[in-house]
Amino acid sequence: MTVDVKMAWRNIWRNPRRSILTMTAIAFATLLLVFMLSFQFGSYDTMINSAVKIHTGHLQVQAGGYQDKKRMRLAVPDPGAIGTILEATPDIEAYTYRANAFSLVSSKERTYGIVVIGIDPAREASVSALKKVIRHGSYLSSTDTNQALIGELLAKNLRVGLGDQLVVLGQGRDGSVAATVVEVKGIFNSGQDEFDRSSIHIPLSHFQEVYAMRGGVHEVVALGKSLGAIPAIKKTVAGVIEIKDAKQPLVVLDWMDLMPGLVEGIQLDLISGLILYFILIVVVAFSILNTFLMSVFERTKEFGVLMVIGTAPGRLTKVLLLESLTMTAVGIVVGIIAGILITWYFQVHGIVISGTSEVVRQFGIPERMFPRLSFLSITIGPTLVLFITFLTALYPALKVRRLQPVEALASV
Amino acid sequence: MTKKLLIAFCLALFIIAGLCGSGKAEDAQALVQASFDYYRGKASTATVDMTIHRPDWERVVTIRAWTKGQEESLFWITAPPKDEGNSTLKKGREMWIYNPKVNRVIKLPPSMMSQSWMGSDFSNNDLAKSDSLIKDYSHSLTGTETHEGKKVYLIQSIPKLEAPVVWGMQKLKIREDHIFLSQAFFDEDLKLVKIMTAHDIQMLGGKLFPRAWRMQKAEAWDEYTELTYNELDFKEDLPENLFTLTNLKNPRR
Amino acid sequence: MHLQLGWRNIWRNPRRTSVIMIAVIIGVWSMIFMGAFHRGMMNQMVENGIATLTGHIQVHQAGYRNDPAIENSMAEPEVVQTTLESRLPPGTRWTARIRVGAIASNARHSGGVTLVGIDPAREARISFIGQAVTQGRYLGPDDEHGILVGKALADKFETKLGRKLVLMSQDSDREIGSKAFRIVGIFRAEMEATEKQFAFVTLRAAQHMLKVENGISEVSIVMPNRHEVELVAEDLRDALPPSTYEVHSWRELLPLVNAYLSLFDTFIFIWFLVVFIAMGFGIVNTTLMAVFERIREFGLLKALGMKPWWIVRGVLTESFLLLVMGTAAGNILSFLSVFALSGSGIDLSSFAAGAEFAGISRVIYPAIHPKDVVMANLVVFILGLLVSVYPAAKAARFTPVEALAHT
Repeated sequence: MTVDVKMAWRNIWRNPRRSILTMTAIAFATLLLVFMLSFQFGSYDTMINSAVKIHTGHLQVQAGGYQDKKRMRLAVPDPGAIGTILEATPDIEAYTYRANAFSLVSSKERTYGIVVIGIDPAREASVSALKKVIRHGSYLSSTDTNQALIGELLAKNLRVGLGDQLVVLGQGRDGSVAATVVEVKGIFNSGQDEFDRSSIHIPLSHFQEVYAMRGGVHEVVALGKSLGAIPAIKKTVAGVIEIKDAKQPLVVLDWMDLMPGLVEGIQLDLISGLILYFILIVVVAFSILNTFLMSVFERTKEFGVLMVIGTAPGRLTKVLLLESLTMTAVGIVVGIIAGILITWYFQVHGIVISGTSEVVRQFGIPERMFPRLSFLSITIGPTLVLFITFLTALYPALKVRRLQPVEALASV
Repeated sequence: MTKKLLIAFCLALFIIAGLCGSGKAEDAQALVQASFDYYRGKASTATVDMTIHRPDWERVVTIRAWTKGQEESLFWITAPPKDEGNSTLKKGREMWIYNPKVNRVIKLPPSMMSQSWMGSDFSNNDLAKSDSLIKDYSHSLTGTETHEGKKVYLIQSIPKLEAPVVWGMQKLKIREDHIFLSQAFFDEDLKLVKIMTAHDIQMLGGKLFPRAWRMQKAEAWDEYTELTYNELDFKEDLPENLFTLTNLKNPRR
Repeated sequence: MHLQLGWRNIWRNPRRTSVIMIAVIIGVWSMIFMGAFHRGMMNQMVENGIATLTGHIQVHQAGYRNDPAIENSMAEPEVVQTTLESRLPPGTRWTARIRVGAIASNARHSGGVTLVGIDPAREARISFIGQAVTQGRYLGPDDEHGILVGKALADKFETKLGRKLVLMSQDSDREIGSKAFRIVGIFRAEMEATEKQFAFVTLRAAQHMLKVENGISEVSIVMPNRHEVELVAEDLRDALPPSTYEVHSWRELLPLVNAYLSLFDTFIFIWFLVVFIAMGFGIVNTTLMAVFERIREFGLLKALGMKPWWIVRGVLTESFLLLVMGTAAGNILSFLSVFALSGSGIDLSSFAAGAEFAGISRVIYPAIHPKDVVMANLVVFILGLLVSVYPAAKAARFTPVEALAHT
């Protein structure tokens, strides 16, 4: 065995220039894949995290059926208890309470049917980006009562500005008439038109009073410390909640349940990325196939001699495979290290994508993108490279078996 | 195309009802109009308890109501105390609502017309378009039955070709003394969507009148809204200025 | 002479030449094909955006874009229409529409839609709706009660052809305008959102329902090609009083698509570069091999007095031939595969929601763009020759002594 390894190693350095070029090609492919996959994963994280930060959060606790029907009466009756559970759950970054009611909102000139959302100003700021996207006026404070935040597009539609009054008329949790007058305190622009056109935000305490919520809310919205921690959090919370109240079931929904289109969008992007990478590796494979082939044909005579003196063709195959695999391994290791270093640099400093502000704004992606190294992003690419180079190396290595010693010796 | 459809439609109805554009249509029309006039009167004032029933929950609202002809109504909530003073004015097909707490009158935009009125099983449209049955449908007699010893006419009402109504058909039961017994709403597949039934017929406001009305959806029989008359007076007329935005805010008792 | 020599040289080792050529072919194929795929995606995004009631240029009453209510419609569209007739270049088409938010309802469902009143004949030549009806028929010129709805909306409302839909919207007197329509046609669109959003009736019917006599919300203009759009828009801006009218080009109306478009060329160029680097290694290595095999030959030639420049030229000629053959085959292959897919397209239906989210079509038709093809070939040629300089220089530097010493 050791003889074979030694032989393979020595063979590689017979022609250092060629081997180095081959290894560089492999390293290049590996590096590129590590970087690109980390970049893709990073951008998904950014995309998901900014999408969840607009409104939905990483996960929500709701009354069963609320997500589909949005009925006022499907409330979480004791949000404090859920809060306590969340406090005790590891990896929860922040959480907040919200209540929603479809209501008539009326300015002096216009009336629209939209969703009024009750938020806890302090908690909301730690969960969603609402506070950051206020463009005019200011965010709600904890002492506010009948103050409201309104989307820029809705403000346009209603023809209201800061300080103007809005009449809100809806129906309370108990079916009673819910009415209040609120004053526009802040105007936000999240970049998501749908969101900016269809809701106003008022303090939760005021909401609960007006809509007779009896302390209930509709959503307990939580943000995890990282995206990876969400499945575990979901499991933990679901476990506790289901035991706690079986009569009126509560459910835990994660961002995938809340935004199914986002998940499929990511899958689509990932698959199209993988197709590109696959093609790329095939090009690399053909680029290096010649090196592998050469190492056989250059040494036809040598192999002939080895065969004549009784070396089994299987052993020759093994030596050849060892040779190409060693090159691949060196290339991959170098590629991974270089890839990690480069990715790491950008992970710290970010990549500015210029000229994309509009794209970026619409999708809620910040202008600076951060690749994110992960076990998967470091391994998927190299595994693909290894697999395809191995297939490439197999061809010349098997070819050697068909070598006829006599012919081989005759060749120059 | 439309003609073909109409023929197909009539044929279908012919099979279902055994009648299409029969000579009795005018009688039916007259009957519906008479029944409508009977229960609306020229004008009326009433106190009604509206019970909204759900499997796990119930709520009762007391309403003071004024109506005049087919076009004008005013509803004023007197209980529960929390909702007292909320009111609705209907004039023609437009509706305004008033809330005393915010002291503001809001005209309902089109987008709210199909929403429920005060959380009940009645939609704003049910109220705003209450005269639609007369205006938008052709009625025909499909049979008779008896109720408390009186003859009951079964009437099938098909919307006029381009009438702005969503129903595919309505079926009415009208007693020979013009008392409305039921009104069933069907979709265009002629499947029942919801039904309003009258109960507890007794002397009210000087004439026989169903004391209770119940509206329920075909798909959820344990959910309904029931109107129970506590008081009903028919009047010759009510002053025009009763049905105004000013009065919406502060109706006369 | 050089070419002949080079040609003979590269076929000295046919296997090696074939292998590297396959690398070049796959590389070029992937550049052009994947380029065409993404270009197709991009084009469809732009075309969809334009066909989905945007057009190349739109004219509105001033203030309409900020507040698209019926009060902000054009009361006297004749003024705009005469201007358009006199100013627009030949071949340009335009149409007037009413566009207003409305509530559609039937017995069981109700929901918001965008009601679009169209001139059926003119509209058919401008936006997607002319070709989109898959069940039933398109609107006739005097269809007072016909309505076209999308498949997704019909499903949501559990309705079908021949059924009624009641539409309600605020009319110009700020009262509720309502009108019953019958579904005469069901349309399909690239985006489910489009199918859910739009319902089409005739302009006349919409005007009756909203009680606007001749009023329209917008004029949409489609040009024979996209190049002159900005010029024409500028011309219209001059011709129409800016206090009353607003003119916008599709780039302003579809800012997101426009931003994507500007990113796209960069993206494609990076892809070309990356693929090239992948095959560049192969080109260098193979050429190096070929050079080293012939060390003795080069040494001899040099000893015979051949100038180093000639050797460089010889090696580059070989690379050149290799690249020519590889790119030619790669081009042909990519044209063939694009052609093969041009009929059926590439179906992304299994990712429908994802595609919808990303704003791309359900079926992608690859589109070959001359610019992309030229760019791909240039990248391969120029960089291919550039990297071949290294082995060529190597070959030119062999001294006769060195060469003869080599076994």
